[in-house]
Amino acid sequence: MKVSYRWVRDVAPGIGLRPAEAMERLALRGAPVEEWVDLAEGLKDVVIGQVLEAGPHPNADRLTICRVAGPDGEVPVVCGAPVVRVGAYYPFAPVGAVLPGGFRIGKRKIRGSYSEGMLCSERELELGEDHAGIMLLEGQYEVGAPFAASVGLDDVRMDVEVTPNRGDLLSHVGIARELHPAGQAGIALPPLPGGRDELAASFARGGGEASSAGCRIRIEDPDLCSRYLGAVIRGVTVGPSPRWLADRLRAAGARPINNVVDATNYVMLELGQPLHAFDLEKLADATIVVGRARPGESLVTLDDEPRAITPGMLMIRDAVQPVAIAGVMGGRDSEVSGQSTDILLECALFEPRQVRATRRALAMSTDASYRFERGVDPATMEAAVLRAVTLILATAGGTLDGEIIDAHPRPWVPPVVGLRPSRASHVLGVDFTPDAISKLLVPLGYKVEAAGADRLDVTVPGHRTCDTLREVDLIEEVARTHGYDAFPEVMSAARAGTVPDHPLFQLEDRLRGLLAANGISEAQTPALGPKQHGDVALLNPMSRDEGYLRRDRLPGLLTHVERNMSRGVRDVRLFEIGTAFAPSEDGPPFESSRVAVVLTGGRTPAHWSSRAEPFDVHDIAGVLGLITREARPDAAVVPAGRRAGGPTNGRTDVPAGGQAQQLFVPGRCYEVVSGSGEVVGWGGQVRPELLDLPRWAGPVVGGEVVLPAVPAPQPDVTARDLPDQPAVQRDMAFLVPAGTAAGEVLDAARRAAGRLLETGDVFDVYEGEDLPPGMRSVALRLRFRARGRTLTDREVDKTCRRVVRTVKEKTGVEPRR
Amino acid sequence: MLPAARGFVIEDLRKLEADALGEVRAASDPRELEGVRVRYLGRRDGLVSRCLRRLGGLSPEERPAAGAEANRVKGSVDRALEERRAALSRDGASSEDGPDLTLPARTGWQGTIHPVSRAVDDIWSIFRSLGFTRARGPEVDTEWYNFVALNTPLDHPAADEQDTLYLAPGLLLRSHTSPVQIRTMEQYPPPIRIVAPGMVYRRDTYDATHTPAFAQIEGLVVDEGVTFVDFKATLAEFARRFWGPGTRVRFRPSFFPFTEPSAEVDVKRLIVREDGREEETDWIEIMGAGMVDPAVLDNVGYDSERYTGWAFGMGPARVALLRHGVRDLRLFYENDMRFLGQFR
Repeated sequence: MKVSYRWVRDVAPGIGLRPAEAMERLALRGAPVEEWVDLAEGLKDVVIGQVLEAGPHPNADRLTICRVAGPDGEVPVVCGAPVVRVGAYYPFAPVGAVLPGGFRIGKRKIRGSYSEGMLCSERELELGEDHAGIMLLEGQYEVGAPFAASVGLDDVRMDVEVTPNRGDLLSHVGIARELHPAGQAGIALPPLPGGRDELAASFARGGGEASSAGCRIRIEDPDLCSRYLGAVIRGVTVGPSPRWLADRLRAAGARPINNVVDATNYVMLELGQPLHAFDLEKLADATIVVGRARPGESLVTLDDEPRAITPGMLMIRDAVQPVAIAGVMGGRDSEVSGQSTDILLECALFEPRQVRATRRALAMSTDASYRFERGVDPATMEAAVLRAVTLILATAGGTLDGEIIDAHPRPWVPPVVGLRPSRASHVLGVDFTPDAISKLLVPLGYKVEAAGADRLDVTVPGHRTCDTLREVDLIEEVARTHGYDAFPEVMSAARAGTVPDHPLFQLEDRLRGLLAANGISEAQTPALGPKQHGDVALLNPMSRDEGYLRRDRLPGLLTHVERNMSRGVRDVRLFEIGTAFAPSEDGPPFESSRVAVVLTGGRTPAHWSSRAEPFDVHDIAGVLGLITREARPDAAVVPAGRRAGGPTNGRTDVPAGGQAQQLFVPGRCYEVVSGSGEVVGWGGQVRPELLDLPRWAGPVVGGEVVLPAVPAPQPDVTARDLPDQPAVQRDMAFLVPAGTAAGEVLDAARRAAGRLLETGDVFDVYEGEDLPPGMRSVALRLRFRARGRTLTDREVDKTCRRVVRTVKEKTGVEPRR
Repeated sequence: MLPAARGFVIEDLRKLEADALGEVRAASDPRELEGVRVRYLGRRDGLVSRCLRRLGGLSPEERPAAGAEANRVKGSVDRALEERRAALSRDGASSEDGPDLTLPARTGWQGTIHPVSRAVDDIWSIFRSLGFTRARGPEVDTEWYNFVALNTPLDHPAADEQDTLYLAPGLLLRSHTSPVQIRTMEQYPPPIRIVAPGMVYRRDTYDATHTPAFAQIEGLVVDEGVTFVDFKATLAEFARRFWGPGTRVRFRPSFFPFTEPSAEVDVKRLIVREDGREEETDWIEIMGAGMVDPAVLDNVGYDSERYTGWAFGMGPARVALLRHGVRDLRLFYENDMRFLGQFR
């Protein structure tokens, strides 16, 4: 809501706040000012000048030479306007002044005559469109005085942020009510220039139907339109508004159109009551019918847009056809134009939800619909229509014909809401007496009456009927007017809550710390992606690239590898924890929390002591292992395709095992398989053809693990005693042919080593020319220990011979000699 | 004459020892120290070695005592050399036979936690110390949980404030974390004292202050006797702990359909400038909050006459933005290693 602060002060003369103070107070009353403009800012160099003499320029037909009295005495001024009135006052920019557009006035010679300043047009001052003539100021002024202050343009336009519950703040009176120390009682509308003080008007009252001055108004649907006031004004002359009116509208950010339309906008901005003026001659049978649209109706609104009217929308119709969309916008064909002489002024009350549904269906919003949706004051309708009529008569002439028509099928009764002072204290934590509550509410327009030991009956004023319906709404009003700052800050003892800390958050925290400690940085990417990344579509996406919810997180993370590399960053180690979405038969999609990781570049930072090796699949296997031990202690990281049996997961929220093969180089990928055989993770070397990377990029490895929805509590570790007996360690190497997995050799060796084996692992893999072609040497280190006694060499030798024999039997692999 | 000769040898040895120890102490670098060693203990021409060779000229009775003395001197000089060598290598980084300690150290990669996650963590850890636990809910939710149960009728202008992404009629991506309030209260009885961090979604295009998906953190307290005074005190305490002890906190009336009275919470931070002077920032809006609307409690079957509560919602990305002086929110989601690497 854009307000002119001068206008606000005019409707409540007791407001003494400077603009900055007013903005502070509005903020503390719940209506902060988003931004503000000092309207006189660009006009600070412009002063009042009086033309003392004027005559034609000797060397140019269209120019006038004037003597102008300004701040520095009398100076010659050459003026482009053909007519300049001697003795009149004009806005004058002396030498050195800067105009709103940034133009600097200098001493110039124009066709042989000096000009020391400029008499300005509206357009040059950015006050209007008129640039044909200079801006004549009616009345008496002080020569040399600042122009903006002299003509009332020293104003601040504030853009007030109004929350959806405060329709009452969508007017200058509403803002003034919050600022005036006496609130509602401080409101005193100023007389309208040229208007009659007391308009002699009476009302032709009726229920669903009323008429006067040959005009008839009927309301077919009183639930959607509870009142319709119509005033017939005949003999108007439609034309530009007087300057004070145009200036006032512009100061509030509105565009002047003509005197009739401007009058309706003026009253709407002042009182918050939307009004509409019809060209009465264009209304068939001078009839207004308010009712729901009929099938097949259409309307071109006054913005020249054809509107798709559907049955159910509330329309204003004449005897034949629709002429306006109720509460939203008028029709083009019944609009007031330069030729109009007789008009019908509408002031109606439409049901908020109806207006909202209609304007949403039509995908439009107007000043009127914005106010109707948020609630318009039913109690100021008569005042609004009288003020608008007064203003039109003053600016466009004409006469009010007959009585003001008042179709009023549902009379408004001010609601009475009960308020228990004890409840206010219970919620707010500070004791409020009935008297204190009354002092806080009455200035806002509420009537407060005692109605029992602990009960006040609060009568709600018209401007708050839409949002003050319950006791708690009144409690909020008490807190707001008391001032939030006035409440003490005392923390009371709190009881522990019943909700346990969610274990998935705890797991995610541990993973974050673990991965960061392993040199991987956390990324955040959006869950929205293109079609190839998701199976769950949005109905109203912002773009094609954001139309789907991601089925996995790794593909999104990979695009950030591309982005980093396109900027020349070679070492990229990112992880992300986020939600993935899988479609369900009906109902919401399945969601699972995922951790995804990508690694590329050097395995260690560049260092003078050694060359950094690039990350490879064994690194992602290691990271998957770290995540798996933390997140899914029952699961194991295994080479894809090597686990027993096919994909076995029966659940639909975890993707099937084929996933891994699509993203990764065949033979270079792993799966994370849970104890029950479900694939709950995957990783490997990403297929280079899927990535758009520079030529220098090394291998990119990545992986993803599905986190359990509710992780099991981590079991306590049971500590083991340290052994007293020494261990015996033996190394042995095998010649492993290309088709045989080292893991199988290790497994066979471990099994054969039996109970005495403490640890057994691969400690070296060697390929070289001294080996037979296609062979690798895989060296195992086995460590043996017996409980309670010292092993003998004989025992260990015997075990090792058994290991070699068994490995050969199970895998066909020979020891290396 | 012979005893005199014996005494002479032992005396010589003792003098040599004193000289050698003096020179060892005076040696200022390993090379000089090596010179001392060669001069006294050198196998061929070392002064102590020569003295030892003279033992052959002594009588068999005299030889053991002189021999023992010679060995003692040799050992004493040896030890002194060793100690001095160790001391010299401790002092000088550039000693010839040690590593060059001025070379860059060997480190591993250091990973970082995303600044928005850090903000969530820091917010959470303050609330944790105030007795809160964490709750979560789905990111895809229904209109009931996202709007209606939160006292936001779909035909009310308040529903416009958040332009929502839909999957199907009635099914949407949550536009705030507030549905977790409803889901938590449906599942657990009072007292409730939770925060709920999570991602939320709105139909916003990317710009310096908007992204379609962003983190939010919700808070909810419900119990008997919870008041506006307690609400203000707890959130002001949070704000001072998070933004620093000199922080001023301001509560302004506002509107949210699910709280009444509602408030915006602003902070004014006290920052120390480079010249050491303290300076207050402008008011910065940090969260929306308020007393839980009784209609919300009624919707989950709580007795709204008996229980009262308060709630808040804040944006950790905005918090991180302010905290780290980041000019454009999009930097958080570009995931450039050079940007993320700053948050060690």
